[in-house]
Amino acid sequence: MEKEIAISVKNISKTFRIPHERVDSIRIAALNCFHKNSYEEFRALNDVSFEVKKGEFFGIIGRNGSGKSTLLKVLAGIYRVDSGKVKINGLVSPFLELGIGFNPELSGRDNIYLNATVLGLTKKQIDAKFDSIVRFSELERFIDQKLKNYSSGMGVRLAFSVSIHANREILLMDEVLAVGDSNFQAKCLAEFHKYKEMGRTVVLVTHDIATVQRYCDRAMLLRNGKIEKIGKAEEVGNEYIYQNMSDEEKRMIAENEENLKSEEEKSKKMKGKELELEKKRIEAERKKQEEEKKNKVAEITEVEFLDKDGKAKNVFETGENISIRVRFKQYKKVPVLNFGIAIFNQENAYILGVSTITDKINTAKYIENKFYQINYPKIPLKTNYYFIKAGIFGENEALVYDFMEKSETFQIFSKNKNHGIVDLNYYWN
Amino acid sequence: MKSMAKHENYKELIWVLAKTDLKLRYHGSVLGYLWAILKPLMMFAVLNFVFSSLFNPGGANGKIYSLQLFVSLVMFNFFSEGTMAGMLSLLSKAQLVTKIYVPRWTIILASTVNSAMVFLLNLIIVVFFFAIKGFLPSAQAILTFFLFSIATYTVILSFSFLTAPLYVKFRDLSMIWEVLLTVLFYATPVFYSLEMLPPNVQKLLLLNPIAFIIHFNKKSLISDQFALPWQYATFSTIVIIGFIVSLMAYKKFISEVAEKI
Repeated sequence: MEKEIAISVKNISKTFRIPHERVDSIRIAALNCFHKNSYEEFRALNDVSFEVKKGEFFGIIGRNGSGKSTLLKVLAGIYRVDSGKVKINGLVSPFLELGIGFNPELSGRDNIYLNATVLGLTKKQIDAKFDSIVRFSELERFIDQKLKNYSSGMGVRLAFSVSIHANREILLMDEVLAVGDSNFQAKCLAEFHKYKEMGRTVVLVTHDIATVQRYCDRAMLLRNGKIEKIGKAEEVGNEYIYQNMSDEEKRMIAENEENLKSEEEKSKKMKGKELELEKKRIEAERKKQEEEKKNKVAEITEVEFLDKDGKAKNVFETGENISIRVRFKQYKKVPVLNFGIAIFNQENAYILGVSTITDKINTAKYIENKFYQINYPKIPLKTNYYFIKAGIFGENEALVYDFMEKSETFQIFSKNKNHGIVDLNYYWN
Repeated sequence: MKSMAKHENYKELIWVLAKTDLKLRYHGSVLGYLWAILKPLMMFAVLNFVFSSLFNPGGANGKIYSLQLFVSLVMFNFFSEGTMAGMLSLLSKAQLVTKIYVPRWTIILASTVNSAMVFLLNLIIVVFFFAIKGFLPSAQAILTFFLFSIATYTVILSFSFLTAPLYVKFRDLSMIWEVLLTVLFYATPVFYSLEMLPPNVQKLLLLNPIAFIIHFNKKSLISDQFALPWQYATFSTIVIIGFIVSLMAYKKFISEVAEKI
């Protein structure tokens, strides 16, 4: 049973000391030797334990700074840990970066030998594999040219080709899938499938959920150096999506608060003359607005996004019920008021525009409530940022009382791995 | 924690790294290799002109003086290039430290191998020089020279293993060492003879292994005179203790090196 385990990690912790003042010369060190240099501690890994079985495709996901790359470096033997144990059963080839040791002044041929040696191959092994490496990289014609004359894609291809020929029992990979053209990517993925069939162990670090869900058997979600979830790749991937959604929600709220705060602080900071000027400016603006209001019929004051329970939030999941509520003020009585909302995505694609004119809706209720609301049940939009335009009109859309340009945004996350902008209902026949 | 990442191809790794350095430095051409020889040769031309023709310290022994000077220059050049390359090795190959695990000593060793190869190239010129002047040292002197070369390499390694991990943290070490190398050059009997100094100063200077090597190299190759056994004993003790101390320091500092780069 013991033999079945490729990587066993027990209670490892790793703390980085980040000095407030970086000491990088003897001169500064000598100056500082009388007072202790203060530093902050950053816990990159906090009591992490897990096991990876032989022949498993294991994914590690997490946001930036969650400790995933540190963990990979620990597994590769680059960092030592403060406490805990790492046991690795078999030879490791780390893919933390492609083309380690590559030098632009050397030919492709020399670089193959250099890189492969760094990855642990002997000269005999490289000689035997040389043709296969070149063939896989599709660089037969350029192999004796200097690397600096290669395009970046060619360099990556060569590097990748060498790396997969290093052929160890355990592979550690740090998001190398995101390189190369699609043709080459397909080739790489086919190669990974081969690894899987050969019973090799692969540990993949990424923040791309789709990759993890597509290729990994099991996965682990890291957050602030701790394991948040470990289990089936599918479930861990979904957990990561939810985590991202709530983080994004918090970020958006924080951003709004921050904006308000900075406005307040700005006005607090101003003194004397400046304050006078600012007051005058505000006063003038208020007057101007009032002037406008006299002429204005109605004004949009607030846009809210609500979930099915009527709770306001900004981040949704594909298939959720979204309601958009627009509050407005009416200054003048007019015979007819009509309302509309349009949704755009970040690439400015016009998703859907509706109005009470086109839909022939009686607006009396809205005028009385001072808000209008549109419900989108099971919204079929895919992962993206979305913008709202809202408008208040008269008898027709040419008579605009108020119009809000794209300002309010909401965000949608999708768990599906298919592509495009709309989650159409479909089934395979 | 002991890392389980294994490398069985140390020898090949060191060799490939050293060869790459050499290729990059001299662009793989014969003309490129000439540059490696040019530096000591130029130094020799200048110093030989100044001290042999202008001040004429050797008097009738001008021939011997220029031979001594050239051998000493080649040796000192080996020392200064080797220590500098060794000290800079880890930082200049930062990628090999932070992106993969290869035993760090292989990186340090590889960069000193490069200097050793330049030294060997220079030796060809030395032999050529001796041949032109029609001067054949005794077998014992040649053996001594061979052992001294190994000792110089040991000193270079000691220095490199001590300073390479430190240089990652203290980036002004290279500047300090450059200044010290100039001081050392004058404190080593390269272009003068040790006997010109007062006896007390002689003793002091000989504590420096490089001064010892260069002084007795001259003596043995030219006049077939050798150091006394107790002098050899002191010299060897200094070199060996230095080597042990540097290995201990290396062990202490090397584990943190990936985080400091």
